[in-house]
Amino acid sequence: MVLVIAEQRDGVLHKASWEAIVAAQQTGQPVQVGVAGSDLARVAAELAVAEVDAVLTVVHAALESYTPDGFVAAFADLVTGIQPDLVFLPHTYQTREFAPTLAARLDRSLITDCVAVRPRDGRLAFVRPMFQGKFVADVSPTGPAPHFASFQIGAFHPDALRLGTSSAEVHVYDVSLDAEAIRQTVEPPFKEAKQAVDLTQAERIVAVGRGIRAQAHMALVETLAASLGAEVAASRPICDSGWLPMDRQVGSSGQTVSPKLYLALGISGAIQHLVGMKGSRTVVAINKDADAPIFEVADFGIVGDLFEVVPALIAALDADA
Amino acid sequence: MEREILDVDVLVVGGGPAGVSAALRLASLQRHEGGAPLSVALLEKSRQSGSHMLSGAVLDPSGLDELLPDWRTRGAPVETKVLDDRVYYLTERSYLRFPFTPPPLRNDGNYVISLNRLVRWLSEQAEAEGVDIFTGFAGTEVLFEGDRVVGVRTGDRGIDRHGERKGTFEPGVDIKAAVTIFADGVRGNLTKTLIRKLRLDGPAPQTYAIGIKELWQIPSDRVSPGSVVHTMGYPLRNEEFGGGFIYALPEGRLAVGFVAGLSYRDPLFDPHEAFQRFKQHPLVSAMLSGGQMIRYGAKALPEGGWHAVPRCHAAGALIIGDAAGFLNSMRLKGIHLAMKSGICAADAAFAAVRAGDVSVPKLATFQRLVNSGSLRRELYPVRNVHQAFGGGLFAGLAFAGLALVTGGWWPRGLLSSEAGHERMARLARYYRTERPDPDGTSNAVQVDQTVTFDKLTNVHYSGTRHEEDQPTHLLVLDTDVCRTRCRKEYANPCVRFCPANVYEMVDDGSGTGPRLQVNAANCVHCKTCDIMDPYQIIEWVPPEGGGGPDFEGM
Repeated sequence: MVLVIAEQRDGVLHKASWEAIVAAQQTGQPVQVGVAGSDLARVAAELAVAEVDAVLTVVHAALESYTPDGFVAAFADLVTGIQPDLVFLPHTYQTREFAPTLAARLDRSLITDCVAVRPRDGRLAFVRPMFQGKFVADVSPTGPAPHFASFQIGAFHPDALRLGTSSAEVHVYDVSLDAEAIRQTVEPPFKEAKQAVDLTQAERIVAVGRGIRAQAHMALVETLAASLGAEVAASRPICDSGWLPMDRQVGSSGQTVSPKLYLALGISGAIQHLVGMKGSRTVVAINKDADAPIFEVADFGIVGDLFEVVPALIAALDADA
Repeated sequence: MEREILDVDVLVVGGGPAGVSAALRLASLQRHEGGAPLSVALLEKSRQSGSHMLSGAVLDPSGLDELLPDWRTRGAPVETKVLDDRVYYLTERSYLRFPFTPPPLRNDGNYVISLNRLVRWLSEQAEAEGVDIFTGFAGTEVLFEGDRVVGVRTGDRGIDRHGERKGTFEPGVDIKAAVTIFADGVRGNLTKTLIRKLRLDGPAPQTYAIGIKELWQIPSDRVSPGSVVHTMGYPLRNEEFGGGFIYALPEGRLAVGFVAGLSYRDPLFDPHEAFQRFKQHPLVSAMLSGGQMIRYGAKALPEGGWHAVPRCHAAGALIIGDAAGFLNSMRLKGIHLAMKSGICAADAAFAAVRAGDVSVPKLATFQRLVNSGSLRRELYPVRNVHQAFGGGLFAGLAFAGLALVTGGWWPRGLLSSEAGHERMARLARYYRTERPDPDGTSNAVQVDQTVTFDKLTNVHYSGTRHEEDQPTHLLVLDTDVCRTRCRKEYANPCVRFCPANVYEMVDDGSGTGPRLQVNAANCVHCKTCDIMDPYQIIEWVPPEGGGGPDFEGM
């Protein structure tokens, strides 16, 4: 049985949780989903639409806000209690923090940032990139179960989720938790974090690169994004120049995104950028240079001047609306 | 601001082969000689020990023999004996094998290694001996009391790009030590200020080269492990110093690299491009074709030799390894000398701490150990060789041959040399008749993304990462010069000598012409810009601790 640990915050499910469930469904084994927090009714109902055996909610006042100690203790209890063969997690910031401790606490192996899972020689192989994505390695865990694995955001598509014919059962899993043993105290989020956009959750993204040439032209991009209902993102030079805040940077030193539509304007497509968006479903690129590497990953490409193409796009979109 | 203060007996700054050897030796001295416990701390700017290590590398094991005589049984990652040793002279399409391998390039008894792995292993040994290794911390400032060095300050963390404190701000720590051993590598930022402030310069200015290297995965039956190839000639011209190397590791891993002297005259010379041309040469491309490039990196190396070594001792301070310039450019080897200098420094520091005397005369023990041991024995006879290459490849080779006979003696003593950046000629002077277009790409190398790569793609494979929201760690003191004088006089050589695409001239259409764009996050910490900038207005300072490349397997 595979236990998927889903992630939520203030009653809102992290989209990548669906991807981890997809990964679990692909193993062919029964799947259960665990989620921790203080008020989980809504999240649990949402998760129950998936074809899974059960949704287990771990509810405790001390789990209202995420703390590494609290979540490690809660999930250690859950995993010990239900004894899954595998534990899957989305490779989120939260997972990065608590999953290693959780695995170490239970003295089990953890394979991080996987992009696929497949049978090999009678056992499961977890596929993870190495050397900046130049190679992928098949890693098979050894030692006693459960084995932990986290999955790169965008590696699986939520659309591949199998839905149940009826809602899965939701059980409350009782944990005994010593609130005193949680060493971290939660402070209000930083001001920056409050404003931060989570591009990983965006369905459509308009991304802009150096081809935009001047900050004054950013308004054009924002208009297009508004017409499309998309988030604005950028490659490094744009954020580096301060034309967009750094949390809108996509690429190896920014966010990794996988929207349904990724519109790349004036982005040449250096490998540093490609690694951050190659999981997008449909990539549309507009670039003056027909040899730009972005066209190699684009589903649709327009070789042309973005200052001609973008206004035409905006006009067409607004005419439709 | 309140800073934490940490007191230790000996502080080693820099966890390369020199620094780690010094720390290990100190720990073993303490174990053998007993007495009061000795606290040793080591600062290393990379996140993991060894991550900023880059070398060819062929190891002369004599340093390791001295440091850990039982290294063979302890499982040191030194396994691939050199079995075949060749030197070629290349022309554009052809090559000529030297009928014999010149004595300094003979590698009997040496090993092909990954310096990254060796240093990681040495660091584990040091930690097991009780040395405190602080990875992810760079020294940013030398702490003085008068002329005596009393320690080092580490960099602040959590400063944003405008110099404001972020929520994660943490001030640096003052680490105070009776003796501070500077092992901050080639063109070390702390050693640089130390030499300047205390006037420690050697008789000749230090000269440098840049080494660019890729690690390849090729079919494992193509080149036998332990094969060593060195080349001279193409793509360099007679006036440029340097050459290529190919070292075969087990399991089809191949280290392919190119070293170019940072003393070239042509301002349009691009070391990275020379490396691409080298890989395109039939001799090399035959080995690489069908393989995969899996790692990239670059690092400067000190080539000046004996005369360029500064005075390496001051009150409370010693300088070792590449920071001091202990490298034999004729043998193309420095790791063993770095280790030996670390051992000498540990011996001198240990005696000084035990005697409670860290004055200049007491620490001069280091100089005596260097002079009476194998460091001088190896470096002194070739003291003029690198300078002789200033007259071109053939003059250099002739002199190198002569030096072998005369023990380096030369009727005029020290051959004169100048700092490399001073040799770079202005465009108008170098290209007398027709001044090339600074943006011209007429002779650009063909990038196919299989054997040859552009710098940006290469940088990706260096694994380099820096916190994005931090002040730039490449200080350009006057960017107006880039736009005006430098553009005219040298056509902005920084965009070429930097192997990581850190420097770019970008025209943002403001009408004032291209401006300098510094992509500090790309930096692979090679120090070439600090060395080669003709106006000497680029200053390399350490970025927030932990930032930088990840030279795994290099």
